[in-house]
Amino acid sequence: MAKIGVFICHCGENIGAKVDCTRLAAAMGEHPGVAVSVEYKYFCSDPGQESVKRAIRDNNLTGVVVAACSPRMHEATFRKACAEAGLNPYLCEIANIREQCSWVHTDKDMATEKAMDITRSMVEKVKRNNKLQPIEVPVTRRALVIGGGIAGIQAALDIANAGQDVVLVEREPSLGGHMAQLSETFPTLDCSQCIMTPRMVEAAQHPKIRLLTYAEIESVDGYIGNFKVRVRMKSRYVDLDRCTGCGDCITKCPAKKISSEFDCSLGKRTAIYTPFAQSVPNIPVIDKANCIYFKNGKCKICAKTCQCDAINFEMQDEFIELEIGAIVVATGFQVQNNTMYGEYGYGKYPDVINGLQFERLASASGPTAGKILRPSDGKEPENVVFIQCAGSRDPSKGVRYCSKICCMYTAKHAMLYAHKVHDGKTNIFYMDIRAAGKGYDEFSRRAIEDDEASYVRGRVSKVWQENGKLMVRGVDTLLGRPVEIAADMVVLATAMISQPDAKEFAKTIGIGYDEYGFYNEAHLKLRPVESSTAGVFLAGACQSPKDIPDSVAQASATASKVLALFSKEKLEREPVVATNNEATCAGCWGCVLACPYNAIEQKDILDRSGKIIKRVASVNPGLCQGCGTCVTFCRSNSLDLAGFTEKQIFAEVMGL
Amino acid sequence: MSIEEQYRTRAKELLAGGAVKMVIGYGKGTTGERRRPIFITSPDEVERLVLDEACITNLSGYLVSEGLLSDEKRVAVFLRPEGVRAVNILAAESQLDSDQLVIFGFDVVGNEIKALKGIHVEEFADVIESLKESAPGVAKELLLEKIESMSPQERFSYWQGEFAKCIKCYACRQACPMCYCRRCIVDSNQPQWVNTSSHSLGNFEWNIVRAFHLSGRCVECGNCDRACPVNIPLRLINHRMAEEVLGTFDHFAGTSKTQEPVLASFKKDDSETFIL
Repeated sequence: MAKIGVFICHCGENIGAKVDCTRLAAAMGEHPGVAVSVEYKYFCSDPGQESVKRAIRDNNLTGVVVAACSPRMHEATFRKACAEAGLNPYLCEIANIREQCSWVHTDKDMATEKAMDITRSMVEKVKRNNKLQPIEVPVTRRALVIGGGIAGIQAALDIANAGQDVVLVEREPSLGGHMAQLSETFPTLDCSQCIMTPRMVEAAQHPKIRLLTYAEIESVDGYIGNFKVRVRMKSRYVDLDRCTGCGDCITKCPAKKISSEFDCSLGKRTAIYTPFAQSVPNIPVIDKANCIYFKNGKCKICAKTCQCDAINFEMQDEFIELEIGAIVVATGFQVQNNTMYGEYGYGKYPDVINGLQFERLASASGPTAGKILRPSDGKEPENVVFIQCAGSRDPSKGVRYCSKICCMYTAKHAMLYAHKVHDGKTNIFYMDIRAAGKGYDEFSRRAIEDDEASYVRGRVSKVWQENGKLMVRGVDTLLGRPVEIAADMVVLATAMISQPDAKEFAKTIGIGYDEYGFYNEAHLKLRPVESSTAGVFLAGACQSPKDIPDSVAQASATASKVLALFSKEKLEREPVVATNNEATCAGCWGCVLACPYNAIEQKDILDRSGKIIKRVASVNPGLCQGCGTCVTFCRSNSLDLAGFTEKQIFAEVMGL
Repeated sequence: MSIEEQYRTRAKELLAGGAVKMVIGYGKGTTGERRRPIFITSPDEVERLVLDEACITNLSGYLVSEGLLSDEKRVAVFLRPEGVRAVNILAAESQLDSDQLVIFGFDVVGNEIKALKGIHVEEFADVIESLKESAPGVAKELLLEKIESMSPQERFSYWQGEFAKCIKCYACRQACPMCYCRRCIVDSNQPQWVNTSSHSLGNFEWNIVRAFHLSGRCVECGNCDRACPVNIPLRLINHRMAEEVLGTFDHFAGTSKTQEPVLASFKKDDSETFIL
């Protein structure tokens, strides 16, 4: 005979204001099989949990239903409490009367009726729950960090410094990411390269870090603690072991007029190249699309120049299989292409550039060696206009969100310009100045007060060329009048957007993403660095626009998550796994294909003489993740999922 | 020599030489227009074989009769292109080894019987490919047009009326080569998901579950339709599902014996229009 305890939580006002918990408790008390039905303000609190435990012991309960918030929130909490009271934790279920009821309804009577339905349905389910034992799986103590920008490097270093193995994969020829492109960094104006390159070298030389550059993730299989990752090593056409990084090939390469990606098209590079002088590893790659030999079949000057015989035009892509326990995704961002603003003339007028291009102009390692010069004629601009929110906070043409870093980097640009061009004039069109962060507001005030940046609150409607000047027409909303400025250069504070292949890549690793292609965290507030897939963590701007301090902090946070995972020899996994009824299985193998975890294999059923009677599906509980895909696929209804058996679900539905 | 005679001769040779243990073909039925499946194991019986435009039943379902192919001996079978597609699916779903089959392929064009070349399923790939191109199955018949022009409510009440006739005899299931499960979901009573009573809910559940189980698998041979004693136009439901998977996933059931089941396989470029 079932003796179910029903515990109805008010969640303060969250549930109590919209659901009549007293009525609900009374109604559940009447339901067959319910031995205890009580309400309390916060069951998740210590006294709340104690009262659940006491009720279990006093009444010898055979099952528990906590009618409260989403099971994502506190299922683990209450299952643990049940276990402490001697009840198998899988005999505890959560009826979600908050997210699925009180939060979404206004009529108290109807919400109470619905809460009754939801709770009753879970009571019916829990009556059919079975005692389950957790499954133990081994943990591979090796982390994979995807992306070699500052976030990836930080995560890799933190994990490696704690003594665990790390594989750091970067798809570009060098580590560094966007941070390596920056000139100075806010709010301290220290040189980006000076703080970045030592980290790059440290990561490359760390005995615990295996660095794979010019490499991309091909596929990810498996699950937390036991991922199998296939990496494509793109052919560099330069032997990593032989090349000494002398750079002779680069000097001699005759294909010199290729637009440099690292310099954002403001500089040129050769066909055999390193993205920048401080590249790590300092080994060039051949850009096959622009290489004269690959195009015409003749040249090979680099190979002739190379004294180490490191150039190999026959090189093919290679594949590496990795066994991985945890994955940190730090794939970064890209800047939005501003050509959608026809009125700003980006892409039409060479002196309308974006923020990242300005960084390259201001950078000592950039195409102008740190001098601010106009791309059109190489002259020093006397008047620069900055346009903030060029793409951000613009639902009509750009993106709805705030890119977070642009206010700060525009202030920085104004300062750098003022420090380099002493008589220069700066006008900044802005919507709001968002300078929340340590030292940030002081920094932007410095731009205004010390470096005389003139902030104009308003938007720009048009930029056009007239007598060698860029005419900027906007509005000063504080003074309520139109403004027209004759500028020599216009810098757009472009939005940070997700990588072009972010969604595709999310599908490869099996994590969620939002409407913009940024990766979804498991909980925005309480689990901000975990993805919804166990064992996959998120660092840096792949999750949302971030500045360097935030990216680094998040990267270190992922490292602590990875290290916590690696602190155990074995992982306890929920015993929510599929089982197969071999008597009814038709052996169609649809489940084998449908299973995303390769957890189903074929099993032969033999008679006494050893002859095969039939072949059926067999689930490997160590691999099964309990997603239930096979169960829904099985036409003969032979597969079932522990914890969510057909009987339980049926009872749950019938209980509604 | 007519195709019927050619095939009789070949059947006789195969049986006499022991190349096949059985020929599954068509024989005379109860009336002049009807043909019934016959199972011939002796060369003396081949004269019973009939091949004419009335041979429309898809015989592939008999191949999965329990134990028939388990001795690894070969069996010959008369198949129209839909039958070959059905065999491909059965092979893809591990229900039979198509190498054990000798196919007597034929098609009916108008009132003419046409022989199809080949004895192995692979040899019919071109025929099947041309079927895919020409959008096969139910011709655009009047009833289909009528149903497609209905509003969702009208269509629902139309099918409600049709399903009201269902007596849950499961003749459609018995006739369908794709319904090979040893225990059908409708016979699973712990819990009883599909109601076995012949009331409107139970009838809807059964017919819709069957349509789903056939989506991406139905070859539109019409066996179910002809088997239905109360004349529910079941082929139209299955035709609709076939159109749906063809349009959404470019999947034409039974093109090869290694074809992956459309609802169990996943491709990155699969259409996601159904995800809200």
